Amino acid sequence: MSEINLAPLEKNGPEFMDLFQSAKRCILKFCVSLSIILISPYANSTEKVDYERQIKPIFRNRCNACHGALKQKAKLRLDTANFMLQGGYGGPAIEPGHAEESLLLERLVESDQDLRMPPEGAPLTPEQIELVKTWITQGAQHPTNEAPESDPFKHWSFVPPVRPEIQSAPAGSKTVNPIDKLLGDRLAKSGLSRQPRAENHVLIRRLYLDLTGLPPTRAELQEFLKDPSDAAYSSIVDRLLASPRHGERWARHWMDVWRYSDWYGRRSVPDVLNSYGQIWRWRDWIVQSLNQDRGYDSMVKAMLAADEISPDKPSDQAATGFLVRNFYRWNYSLWLKDNVEHTGKAFLGLTFNCAHCHDHKYDPIKNDDYFALRAVFEPIEIRHDRVPGEPDPGPYPEYSYGASYKPITSGLVRVFDKNLDAKTFVYLKGESRNIVPGRPPVQPGFPEFLGGKVAPVVTIKLPPQIAYPGIQAFVRQEEIAFREKTLAESDKNLKLIELEIQNQKKNGPESELQKLKLKLAETVKATALADLASIHARIDADQARYNKTSPESEARTMLAVESERFLSLRKAGSVLAQAELTHAEALKKSAAEGAKTAPKLETARKAYDVALADLKKLDKNQKFTPLSPTYPDSTTGRRAALAKWITSPANPLAARVAVNHIWRWHFGSPLVATTSDFGRNGAQPTNQELLDWLAQELMNPTNPAIQPWSMKAIHKLIITSETYRMRSEPESPNDPGKSVDSANKSYWHFPRTRMEAEEVRDSALHVSGQLDTTAGGPDIDLKEGLVSHRRSLYFSHHGESRMPFLEIFDAADACDAYKRTSSVVPQQALAMVNNDFLIDLSRTLADRLWNELSGNPGSDQAKLEQFLKAAFETVLSRPVKPAELKLATQFIISQSKIIEAQSTDHKTAGKLVAEALARRDMVHALFSHNDFLTIH
Amino acid sequence: MANHSQKPWTGPPCGRVPRRTFLSDIGFGFTGLALGSMLNGDGIVRADDTPSWSPPTGQPHFQPKTKSIIWIFLSGGVSQLETWDPKPALNKYAGKTYDATGLPNPTKSPLFAARSRDVVGGARPHSKIFPLQVGFKKYGRSGVEISDWWPHLVTCADDIAFVRSMYSTDNDHNAEFQMHHGRHKLDEKQPVIGSWIHYGLGTLNENLPQFVFLGQYTDPRVKENFAADYLGPQYGGVEVSLDPKNPLPFGNRVKGVQARQQENEFKFIQQMNELASVEYPEDDQLRARIKSYELAYKMQGSIPEVVNISGESQETLNLYGIDEEKTATYGRRLLAARRLAERGVRFSLVYLSDYGEWDSHVELHKRHSLSCSRVDKPIADLLKDLKRRGLSEDVTVVCCTEFGRTPGLEVREGVALTATGRDHHPHAFTIWMAGAGIKPGIVHGATDELGFHAIEHPHYVTDIHATVLNLLGLDPKRLDIPGRKRLEIDYGTPIHQIMA
Repeated sequence: MSEINLAPLEKNGPEFMDLFQSAKRCILKFCVSLSIILISPYANSTEKVDYERQIKPIFRNRCNACHGALKQKAKLRLDTANFMLQGGYGGPAIEPGHAEESLLLERLVESDQDLRMPPEGAPLTPEQIELVKTWITQGAQHPTNEAPESDPFKHWSFVPPVRPEIQSAPAGSKTVNPIDKLLGDRLAKSGLSRQPRAENHVLIRRLYLDLTGLPPTRAELQEFLKDPSDAAYSSIVDRLLASPRHGERWARHWMDVWRYSDWYGRRSVPDVLNSYGQIWRWRDWIVQSLNQDRGYDSMVKAMLAADEISPDKPSDQAATGFLVRNFYRWNYSLWLKDNVEHTGKAFLGLTFNCAHCHDHKYDPIKNDDYFALRAVFEPIEIRHDRVPGEPDPGPYPEYSYGASYKPITSGLVRVFDKNLDAKTFVYLKGESRNIVPGRPPVQPGFPEFLGGKVAPVVTIKLPPQIAYPGIQAFVRQEEIAFREKTLAESDKNLKLIELEIQNQKKNGPESELQKLKLKLAETVKATALADLASIHARIDADQARYNKTSPESEARTMLAVESERFLSLRKAGSVLAQAELTHAEALKKSAAEGAKTAPKLETARKAYDVALADLKKLDKNQKFTPLSPTYPDSTTGRRAALAKWITSPANPLAARVAVNHIWRWHFGSPLVATTSDFGRNGAQPTNQELLDWLAQELMNPTNPAIQPWSMKAIHKLIITSETYRMRSEPESPNDPGKSVDSANKSYWHFPRTRMEAEEVRDSALHVSGQLDTTAGGPDIDLKEGLVSHRRSLYFSHHGESRMPFLEIFDAADACDAYKRTSSVVPQQALAMVNNDFLIDLSRTLADRLWNELSGNPGSDQAKLEQFLKAAFETVLSRPVKPAELKLATQFIISQSKIIEAQSTDHKTAGKLVAEALARRDMVHALFSHNDFLTIH
Repeated sequence: MANHSQKPWTGPPCGRVPRRTFLSDIGFGFTGLALGSMLNGDGIVRADDTPSWSPPTGQPHFQPKTKSIIWIFLSGGVSQLETWDPKPALNKYAGKTYDATGLPNPTKSPLFAARSRDVVGGARPHSKIFPLQVGFKKYGRSGVEISDWWPHLVTCADDIAFVRSMYSTDNDHNAEFQMHHGRHKLDEKQPVIGSWIHYGLGTLNENLPQFVFLGQYTDPRVKENFAADYLGPQYGGVEVSLDPKNPLPFGNRVKGVQARQQENEFKFIQQMNELASVEYPEDDQLRARIKSYELAYKMQGSIPEVVNISGESQETLNLYGIDEEKTATYGRRLLAARRLAERGVRFSLVYLSDYGEWDSHVELHKRHSLSCSRVDKPIADLLKDLKRRGLSEDVTVVCCTEFGRTPGLEVREGVALTATGRDHHPHAFTIWMAGAGIKPGIVHGATDELGFHAIEHPHYVTDIHATVLNLLGLDPKRLDIPGRKRLEIDYGTPIHQIMA
């Protein structure tokens, strides 16, 4: 068949195809039947093929992307049997009862790879082909009411969310939280009912861990046990939402989705390839923004385009860490690719990455849409901004092949539009070298099918201090202060030498060396003076230029240039004076030593002469050294437009994606299982009404006093619902929910979860009273993970490494954490048990709890009981049970005997030490208790 | 695929009890928590779309030919030309440009663009042919040509199947990770081969991890070679150190805690959690946790024994070169790998070099001859030891690297180099396999006359994965996880020509 080439004919249009196809069918008929006989072990099978169960999934998985609702290549659809009968350009795809005459089958078994269907991936398996054949032979039976694939543009998540009507509660009755109402209706339909409220201690621990990542202290636990009223609950919610710990906890959640990563690439070199130094400021910005309840929309805007939307807010610039994080030094194309992919996944729940090489197989995202979105990011580049009180990080170094770049350790890193007319060219097959020749560049744009008000892309003028940060007052002040300090030091040094010489003169004339020393000190001071004068001159020139006082500006510029020349001369003078002194000192040792230093002296003399000559060669066009790099004074506005479009209330996806994440962090499971894919290949929401209601409530709060997009308001709404306050363990062992909805998709009980990695570590520190609550700052070395008492989110976390202890507990992958896994493995048991950090915390806590009882009179037995009560309440946030009391008492007794037997101490001391260690081991064991690691 | 491999495999693997079936609800050992519940809870599985999907049973899909893999990796790019694919033409054309040889210029072949995607920019011309830095002879019945730097390995020539037609697509060292997970740096990462095996097969010894990494490194990127990616950390390689005093992360009692004391505490933890399970009968994580503590305790006890080689005879220690400084480190590592395989560990990734050790841009002669001398005897003796113990029926050894080296001499514009080495070369390299399921004493595939392109039976790196999986009785397509798209190239094709 290889001599027949279909490809050129396709260009001739459908009419030729028809003719061609019928001719070809005759040729093929024989081959098809033959090949089917050869491959078919069940040729005479009479077993009835089930279209819905056996045939449809094959087409859905392999064919419908091109022959379905999304696309109709060759005018053919295969998503219903009727469409198959109707056929495409080639005529009907199937001939019921005549498999060997069916075009569809011909193309499936075609041996010519260019003609075979499906064109990508492996051919259908012989079993699949046999099924299709048998189905056709048996008459291609199918349900009469078979529904075609729905219109891709009307996919549920592409249509803006509508707030469902919620019937208001009858007058006089208690108001019902809409969440409870929406879930309750669904439960009632399946004949299920909500579990009753969890016990108070369970509830309060759940709440504290949820909002702050830390369990309640014993006092906080008892406070709630004493007054578990709704009012008390509500005020605790407010208090926790206002706690600085809340921002830290929820920042870590969002950092998963926004792929927070400290710099990596070649950490051991060190060489920054991915992400960037100082990106921790973005982490701190997230924490602070959440604590201030900054709107979600505003955060998204800042992360995509703070430099365009709020250029005059220095504190916002770190937000573009979202884009900096994707930076890849070796390949800018990859940087842009990641920006497109993760903007899509994080904010829109769309997999734009699938449209990198071809049109999307499930969603109506064209290959061109991918490049239009890439064009939004095309002009970007990294820049270093100076921060008050920190050394100048210097300019961003352009990459030079083979060089390595250490991370910057001061200042702020962010993105800006560098190439305002950057062009985006379409390339093929995801390979950036395959640019399509002749195709005009792609304009920036967003997928129109999602609707929303597309803000026009307009160039934005930037404030002067953005284009030239050197004119900022703090930069000038710091530059002057630095030089004043140098001058003062040089003056002090000069005075010391003058004093030395004065003293010498009492006994005779000063030595030659002393004269040279004096000369050096004088020239150093003169250099410092010149430097100070020069910075003033440069600042004056900058200011004149900024004020646009033209003649003055020119004069000032000349003065600044001159001052720098003079400074160069002074510097050369200092070097020369130093060389003279060194040479004289060497000569004093020996002529040979002197010979060694002579060349340096000669060089210094020549350099001085050059500097002197330069001073006279001033001309008008010379420039002085600016106080900072300069950048474009405008920006394309592309990213600002994108950010505004994403966060426009008409965008159907942004709010839904956000509340879905918020929901899962409260409940452990999302409403849409595929958190980064709300497209047609993603999961259906388990309760779309609820999702849509939450999305609308986020954007347009019912209570006008609440600012739109407030996340704290959504937290409070969720947390004060009855749904949130349910038991996790079904009250009745025979609850129908166990059989009707074992996966708990309808939330008939609270989903029990395991603590996240950071919660395990931070909670152990917190309950033992050892948590260091210092907030923010540069990432802490991983090696300090089980030494430092800071919260886990402040440790290095990047594509190369995570803290091993956290990794064992499924800490987020810095590159892909739209979801986390939650495993139970023996390594976790080892990490809890063989961990001197935890043992030390246990010791401190056990001793503290024991010592707090020292005033209590009573028997040893009673004291031990008090101790155990305190330990359980502190570590597990719940009262100890009688059986546990008994078990723990026995353990402490047996454990202290074992320890004592091994002890070499004096008998009495040995017993006391052993008992203390046994108490420590008891506390330590509590960290391995299921009730510690589990949030019920 | 040969017919026999299509047969459904029904019996337990290798005559052992299929633990995974027994424990399928909660999943134990290093396998961790119930896959089904984990994935559903995660929402990776689209419940409405994949009714037929279920996690692996832990049993092979068809009759396996091996039980364990020892995967030796030589980092930095071993020159195929100075090891297992000598090309006398390089001596003939030494100093000439490709064009001047009269042969087709390999850099102008369509294969050149088709098989490489640059990550690091910059032109890297290497057109002047660099002669072979070492001699070679024919060995064994097959007469395979091997360079003179392998005096011990050549004695095993009749046991080895060489694949001389490997290619990869990255011209920089990310090719190392590509060798293990199968994707180019610019594409989405995948789980590594060891993780797929761990995911697909049940354990043979529940006191030991299934996937072990043996090696030392200062560059943390090496971890990518044993990262499970989306399969989850429980399928990642466990780093086992050869220090019996500290063989596992968190594998040792804290200083000052006595054995009996810890045993008592373990007992107490278990009793408390048993008590808790009365209150929470529906908590399957709690059941898994109780079991995980039991296993942790057992593992902590059994691993030191495995890595403690002091019980091996002096003869064996000598065999692996452990008595000589030059070969001691790698000899120990391979001996430990043999002990792990013997006890049922499915996949040992033995990192038998420093990170980038073979990367000989300059002084290739000096560097390669030294590196060869560090691994030659230990590797050869591993093959011999496996054979004499009958383990070569159960264990397959793979020896590989990330890419080969250029036939041309390396010079770089603007970079001062002493021109005495070869550059990275993803277009051709050699790997070999030996042991269970492997045809002994054969050479498969070939490069062109200059050793530049793999032309006869070319194999991308995932073909090695497919071969190993096939030997273990696994069909990679049946290990797919819904919601995670794998491409045809990720699965690879088993190299049946080298399989017995």
